[in-house]
Amino acid sequence: MKRVLSGNKAVAYGVMLSRVQVISAYPITPQTTIVEELSRFCAEGEMEAKFIKVESEHSAMASIIASSVTGSRSFTATSSHGLALMHEMLHWAAGARLPIVLANVNRAMGPGWNIWTDQGDSLSQRDTGWIQLYCEDNQEVLDTIIQAFKIAETVYLPVMVVLDAFFLSHTSEVIEIPHREEVDHFLPPFEPQYRLNPKEPRSYYGMCSPDYYMEFRYKMQRAMEETVEVARVVDEEFGRQFGRTHSLLEPYRCEDAEVVMVTSGTVTSTSRVVIERLREDGVKVGLLKVKMFRPFPKEEIKGVLQGVEKVGVIDRNISFGHGGIFAQEIRSTFCNEDERPTVFGFIMGLGGRDVTPEAIEEAIHYTLDNHRPKEEILWIDLKR
Amino acid sequence: MAGKIIYHRESEMPFSPVSSGDMSWNRTGTWRYIRPKYEDKTPPCNAACPAGVDIPMFIGLVGEGRYEEAWNVIREESPFPGVCGRVCFHPCESHCNRADYDEVMAINALERFVADQAPPLEPGSPIRGRREERVAVVGSGPSGLSCAYHLARMGYQVTVFEALPKPGGILRVGIPSYRLPKDILDKEIADIQACGVEIKTNARLGGDLSFKDLEEYEAVFLATGAHVSRKLNIPGEDLEGVGSGLDLLRDINLGKAVHVGRKVAVIGGGNTALDAARAVLRLGGNPLILYRRSREEMPAFDEEVSEALEEGIEIRYLIGPTEIIGLNGRVTQLECIKMELGGEDETGRRRPVPIPQSNFTLEVDTLIVAAGEEPNLTFLPEDIRVEAKMVSTDKGARTSRKEVFAGGDMAHLDRTVAHAIGFGKRAAISIDCVIRKRGVTSVLQGIRVGENGTLSMAKYLSEIARRRSPHVVAFEELNLDYFEHAERNERAKLPVPERVTDFREVSTGLTEQEALREAVRCFSCGVCDGCENCYIFCPDLSVITDEGVVKYRINYDYCKGCGICIAECPRNALSVEKEAK
Repeated sequence: MKRVLSGNKAVAYGVMLSRVQVISAYPITPQTTIVEELSRFCAEGEMEAKFIKVESEHSAMASIIASSVTGSRSFTATSSHGLALMHEMLHWAAGARLPIVLANVNRAMGPGWNIWTDQGDSLSQRDTGWIQLYCEDNQEVLDTIIQAFKIAETVYLPVMVVLDAFFLSHTSEVIEIPHREEVDHFLPPFEPQYRLNPKEPRSYYGMCSPDYYMEFRYKMQRAMEETVEVARVVDEEFGRQFGRTHSLLEPYRCEDAEVVMVTSGTVTSTSRVVIERLREDGVKVGLLKVKMFRPFPKEEIKGVLQGVEKVGVIDRNISFGHGGIFAQEIRSTFCNEDERPTVFGFIMGLGGRDVTPEAIEEAIHYTLDNHRPKEEILWIDLKR
Repeated sequence: MAGKIIYHRESEMPFSPVSSGDMSWNRTGTWRYIRPKYEDKTPPCNAACPAGVDIPMFIGLVGEGRYEEAWNVIREESPFPGVCGRVCFHPCESHCNRADYDEVMAINALERFVADQAPPLEPGSPIRGRREERVAVVGSGPSGLSCAYHLARMGYQVTVFEALPKPGGILRVGIPSYRLPKDILDKEIADIQACGVEIKTNARLGGDLSFKDLEEYEAVFLATGAHVSRKLNIPGEDLEGVGSGLDLLRDINLGKAVHVGRKVAVIGGGNTALDAARAVLRLGGNPLILYRRSREEMPAFDEEVSEALEEGIEIRYLIGPTEIIGLNGRVTQLECIKMELGGEDETGRRRPVPIPQSNFTLEVDTLIVAAGEEPNLTFLPEDIRVEAKMVSTDKGARTSRKEVFAGGDMAHLDRTVAHAIGFGKRAAISIDCVIRKRGVTSVLQGIRVGENGTLSMAKYLSEIARRRSPHVVAFEELNLDYFEHAERNERAKLPVPERVTDFREVSTGLTEQEALREAVRCFSCGVCDGCENCYIFCPDLSVITDEGVVKYRINYDYCKGCGICIAECPRNALSVEKEAK
């Protein structure tokens, strides 16, 4: 069934089709309409879920941690400061190996107060042990929510599905909504390995001495490593079932490219248009869309970028005192390789500033025209 | 408990820190180092009630509209809810913790409300099995009838001997009917008879009835009151037109024709003086009360004084009579002297000292003396010891003669109806203990409420009665977050012009709406009323609702001893103790 849906409603449909059993969330712009739609689904009986109202995002995550421990499929959504407030509980959910799915609408952190898109909120949670998947369009958002549960319930790690504020959250597109039966087939009910059960009392998440803590961390890392392959398989399965895939990495026009631009989120769509036009002019430029940020699929990235002379990375984020975060990840991926591309790190579109085709073209031309970046951080469209 | 598990490699470990086996051996209650427990404590009102009425319990039932059950709660301790609900000096209210919050509970009014709803009691069997032992009670005042009532409920064969033609003692002949209507008294005496008490009137000990006649009884309880009016010991007391307050009230109450003059002086500051003056007013006289000390030292109840003042009765303080002057054998004048207050006397009140040359005279045609009462003890055999003009008794109401007990006004200086009821109850328990050969002292110790001599019959009769610690709950120990401010509901009174024309009851009592509103004001200090706070707040779901005498219990398998239940209990009905490890 085709419907015109905003990114936030696409999230809600994905959650409904995934037969989530417990939802707990606290409203924050631009996430609010996700929660509104879900509460409507619950109220009107379209979903058989328990919707827990809470007084903060910290409590929202705490609530679904509890529900998830009982084996219930659990979901929350947030944005920006809400995600920051969840921070402690994000570590908790991952450390407890709970297959929770969270939709984060990328929004800038304040102050200055700003409700527009920026990856700073989700990338600040880089080290909490959550899988992070960045979506380009609303179809991908809906499909990724469904896939996220399957991935999470396979590797026992929580998944954050990320979508850009307004460019996706409040922009409507035509979307194919999968049939409920098909989703049921793709995503059967969750049967957890451990389930909090009064009939079989166990001690959960108690004190863990130095004797064993490190092993549990090792296991989390191993699970992250497996996730790359698991996610690939899940996407393949999804493709077989629904006829669409959303790969972790998508190279676009990278054949014989001298320069490859690395993008994530909605910047990717704009970049496609620019690259299409430059290719018509004979410019050898390609695009690599990175959907999966955690785990960072290093081998797969090497497979695409090995042998490329120069790589430009567009970051809608900044790690203060270092630079764009995706650029750092790409650099570190290659640092032990004999043959490695020169990485140009562009900072663009912070706090929701438009990343225009002209700005992307400027970045591409800079990369083409310079042997090496003249500055470690290349600011595009900055008033200086 | 399983032994410690050692993992040698990560592959043997679960993927998250979850116990590999069943943890039911490790109930989280083992974390506890303090242990909360349900422990009802003593409400200050209950401790202050000489009759020992379980006030929060009956008020709680009123609040639920369960009036007959409330009545039964009161009757567990006292057979006179209707009487006390009118004439008690309600020390319970003076001790009510609500005083520190807004206004004290209208306990006395609620007691009357409950009694006024109650139907006449059907004759029934005693609450314990019938016993063959016979007990004689001499005097049918509040003390005698209270003792008789409790003994009859315990199964004894009780006969009450009353000197006057009608039973009730001071309630019958001392208290005017504008304070205690006779039908109310009749109804409660009938209820006592329905419990199996036999009352023989016109049977005066020392008259038709002799001490010898009482020897056939297993025990005798003497409660003949204090009906001898104290003399002023000044010249002229034998003049015509001079009489005692007690005689005046007795004659009015027994329906005799009474004549008072226009200018009536009443000497005294106790309830008898006030009642006599108010009765005179209703008979058409113009009473003037003369009291030798100040308002502060006046022993009359505040309510009586303020009602007398409302009715326009003049009270002159610091005036003592010195001589009654007559003409042709009839009183015409009263010579008085002005007083000032000196040092404290043996009662702790400041002593009145005459001011020299301050004498003056008042024109009077009737003089009523109400300067205190004493018991008549002339009928007592010599072996019953008397001290300070009262029968000497021990804590168990025992006199110096075996099997003879005494109580009420003839044995005590606490001469209120509530005290008399309490003394009667104490004697009944003591008599039961003596007959059943139980140690009186330890029994009385075990059933006390607070430290003022109040006893609980409910505790005495029932092994399963809710135990209460003797600790009296203070205002500071309540959690006020759960109480709302609410105005006290006052009883209405007849307007003064209506009330002074006859002996109609002055107070009209609470309506049902008022009583329900009033009942929910009760803090229920120290007594669990099932408010559910502990149940709601327990973070470990360890408060279990129960059907027993206490409405909750704690599941110590899982209670971690956080103490939230104690903190959130509005009324201090939980206590904490250190966990014995």
